[in-house]
Amino acid sequence: MKRLNLKWPLTIVASLLAIFIFVIPLYGATVYSFKGNGGKGHSWVNYQWLIHADGFYPSLFTSLKLAVLAAAFNLILMVPTMVYLNLKGQRFKPLVDFLCILPLIIPVVSLAIGAQVAMPKFLQNTQYELVFFFVIIALPFTYRALDTSLQTVALKTLVEASRSLGASWTRTITRVIVPAIRSGITGALFLTFALSIGEYTITSLLHWETFPTWTVVAAQQNILGAIAISVFSFVGAIALLSAIALFSKRGLQRVEVEE
Amino acid sequence: MLPLLPFFIFTGFFLIWPVIAVTIRSFKGNKNEWTVANYRPILHTGPYLHAFVVSLKLSIITAIIGSLLGAFFAYVIVTYARGKFGAVIDSISAVFANSGGVPLAFMFVAAFGTEGIVTKVLKDLGWDIYAGHFTIFSFTGVVLVYSFFQVPLMVLVFKPAIAGLRYEWEEASINLGASPFTYWRRVGIPILVPSFVGAFFLLFAGGFSAYATARALTVGTVPLVPIIIGTLVDGNVISDQANLGDALAVGMIVIATIAMTGYIWAGRRAARWRNS
Repeated sequence: MKRLNLKWPLTIVASLLAIFIFVIPLYGATVYSFKGNGGKGHSWVNYQWLIHADGFYPSLFTSLKLAVLAAAFNLILMVPTMVYLNLKGQRFKPLVDFLCILPLIIPVVSLAIGAQVAMPKFLQNTQYELVFFFVIIALPFTYRALDTSLQTVALKTLVEASRSLGASWTRTITRVIVPAIRSGITGALFLTFALSIGEYTITSLLHWETFPTWTVVAAQQNILGAIAISVFSFVGAIALLSAIALFSKRGLQRVEVEE
Repeated sequence: MLPLLPFFIFTGFFLIWPVIAVTIRSFKGNKNEWTVANYRPILHTGPYLHAFVVSLKLSIITAIIGSLLGAFFAYVIVTYARGKFGAVIDSISAVFANSGGVPLAFMFVAAFGTEGIVTKVLKDLGWDIYAGHFTIFSFTGVVLVYSFFQVPLMVLVFKPAIAGLRYEWEEASINLGASPFTYWRRVGIPILVPSFVGAFFLLFAGGFSAYATARALTVGTVPLVPIIIGTLVDGNVISDQANLGDALAVGMIVIATIAMTGYIWAGRRAARWRNS
């Protein structure tokens, strides 16, 4: 039986569909963002507006700061947890697994309302409360990223070798395990950072101002400017992720959500 | 156990406790007495029930569109695009699926708004998409925008399932005299169905809970449950029930939990064919 070769027909159909669904809106928005004053001609005027707009730098700085903190906190919490889980805590794995999938189940809107009810006043009064919720929202992804990469290394052997050579636990984690699971850590780090920097729901419901919430407010003054911001952040994210995918040996497949 | 304590304390305090707290408060009346009064408007007052219906409709439609188109893309990518190109497609899907939110809404305004680039091009070609009831700020508009992140999400979730189809299975059935069509009907598709159903539930839950895109796009013109909760929280809507928002939030948790139970159940069925 001769196998049908559908390579080109299918590739062409998929490419055309992808162009209609993804490329055209993105292209349309890009062209739009370069419109001049009053919608005429082409210019950088919207991007210039952006840089000079009130609140652009402060909100961008806040977002960057919170995202860096969330990524760092995430690793400090999750790397030891996942190492222990894969080493000795096997019996707790179903429970941790369940807790880490919960953020996908509980709608972020509901979590935000819950946070307003449950968080103590001193936390509600600081924007740093967002850091913890960003970590929660990123949990399903970081769990998966770290877990897959821990399962590919001979964890037990590495730890036994390191410990019997006299290294402390801290030293074993920082000098042996972390380098071994670097790809998982990079994935977790980047995903937490990306999710945090674009997070809108919980931020706006808890009434904080970060880059995304500022964008929505700014859009009411200047929709062209808001479109310019959107194009800028989308293209930036794609470029960054593609660069990581191309230059890291193992790519990003590991950080996908699979069942 | 001890090394896991920080993790349990953290998730307990920032994830479990808020959910418990909102559930408790949803059963409290204005004078802090126990009551189910907060839930009554959801079932009996038009707008709130309607919001649940619209939200369900939106998430079901976009999950159907997303899962069908996404499965097709996933198949083509797994079969024909490997190596570096595949890795780039992966990362683009990851961006489209996860960092949608606010930028997505404004991008679609630019493309499909009244003055949008695509709108104008289509008009020049003789198709005025605004001739009927369509606007980008309407239900159909939200469906269009949501599909933009549902499709790549499906690609991400479904790709491993297709990649898990072993070439040996196809070879075996063809050696036994099956045509490619029979192989897909009797082997390929039955194996993929649980993964597909699981992914559908995940897309449904994602569409049901999404807030940022709809909020930035419609500013409340399409009544979705998350949007209504948002306006209640912002104090834009006065309700005689102080904790109505909590009841709506719990209602969302219940629906999302049902969907995710389906996702986990389907995942177990799908896992049967793996690691064996």
